[in-house]
Amino acid sequence: MSTPGPERVPSSVKVGKTSGQGKPPTAAKSAAAKSGGNRPGAAKGGKGRKPVTPVKVSGGRSWGPIAVIGLVAVIALGIIGFGVFSVVRGSRSWEDKVADIQGVVNYRAQKNAQIDARDHKDGTLTYVTSPPVGGAHNATPQNCNGDVYDAPIANEHAVHSLEHGAVWITYKQGLAADQVAVLQKKVEGKDYTFMSPYAGLDKNVSVQVWGYQLKTDDVNDSRIDEFIKDTRILAALEPGISCSGGNTTTGPVTAAATGTGMTGS
Amino acid sequence: MTVSTDSDAAAEAAASVNGNRPGRARRGWLLIGAALLVGTMLGLGIGLVIPHLRTPGDDSVEAGFLRDMSTHHAQAVEMSMIAHEKSTDPDIVYLANDIALTQHGQIGYMQAWLRDWNLSPTSSEQPMAWMPDSAGSVVNGLMPGMATADQLATLRKATGKDLDVQYLTLMRAHHLGGIHMAQEAERLSSNDDVTWLAGTMVASQQGEIALIDDMLKKIQGS
Repeated sequence: MSTPGPERVPSSVKVGKTSGQGKPPTAAKSAAAKSGGNRPGAAKGGKGRKPVTPVKVSGGRSWGPIAVIGLVAVIALGIIGFGVFSVVRGSRSWEDKVADIQGVVNYRAQKNAQIDARDHKDGTLTYVTSPPVGGAHNATPQNCNGDVYDAPIANEHAVHSLEHGAVWITYKQGLAADQVAVLQKKVEGKDYTFMSPYAGLDKNVSVQVWGYQLKTDDVNDSRIDEFIKDTRILAALEPGISCSGGNTTTGPVTAAATGTGMTGS
Repeated sequence: MTVSTDSDAAAEAAASVNGNRPGRARRGWLLIGAALLVGTMLGLGIGLVIPHLRTPGDDSVEAGFLRDMSTHHAQAVEMSMIAHEKSTDPDIVYLANDIALTQHGQIGYMQAWLRDWNLSPTSSEQPMAWMPDSAGSVVNGLMPGMATADQLATLRKATGKDLDVQYLTLMRAHHLGGIHMAQEAERLSSNDDVTWLAGTMVASQQGEIALIDDMLKKIQGS
């Protein structure tokens, strides 16, 4: 096996050269190269020069370029790292974003069969929460193309609109007109939103999409806007479906069932 | 045996000549490993970031236009479906069908691009904020050309010739507002998809306005 010898020897030459890149005088460099370049048998003879080289090797490292390269690498990594961080953070799911809003109740996580139900049923239906955030519903959705209803609407139609990705803003019946006007600004002209007063609401305002709800007493609460921004359209269980063509009348489901509208899913 | 002993001796010799040779070799491998690791991380990082540098951002003209035009289109779909359902004039029924399907399809394009670009379909920006000099163009949350809630309620109740005239009149105004927005997007954007779609909106809606004018003349003359 004579191959390992010559193989290793050139590698030692290379190391010697690398270490020689710095300050050591050329004489020492050629000496190192010469000793390394010797044949295996003759290598023993090189032992005599051994004390000279180690000193040069340790002293041959030049820290200037290393520091510059290191600094550049750290800066580059920092920039890339920040880019990645902002990309990853920006691409967080809407579910993560809405979970960050304090006070939002996540009913999707509860896996309640009554809330998760999506079948169409006629007549008056009962719901687990008030206002409802999901469950079986009427075949006709409530029109949710920025519609502002001035009287309570049927839960049975509204829940169907939630399935389509609409945000439903409800407020306590009898809320002052100037406060209602604040909420109205969040809905007017905005598709996938609708609002109505709600009988027996325990807070002044309750905002809901399918499976998520936020209640507050303050119509100017910034969490309302956050909630709308993080869930509108995104919460749809049937993405791409329109929010128009639904029922546009107010009142309980029995009275509204004859309204215009599609009977789609 | 002798040969291998020789080479061992040679290695030993080489090691002693170069000082701590085994330690240096290990450091060399470590350096290569570290370089590979850093290179891979840089590559992954750049790969992650580059697509986001090349697609429009959250506050771009493109994102604003796609979001606002989706909302604007949604009302055209709503009005057209009312006319499609209630009109008895075959020309109106076909025009309404055409507008509803085209604009709903275009909403699909626009929403899909936002999703492709990892942007939300929603924003906290006011409508039309992407358009320079658009202050005052939004009235009660309605973008240019959009019908009011009262106009929609009246349209829902209308029948016959009254319905047809109302629909054509509302749709004409709606197209004018939409064309204005699409022209601005075409002018301001450098994204090929967006300028292409905006360009087709301008062309087709201008064509439809000419058609609507003819239909209005015919209906009101009869």
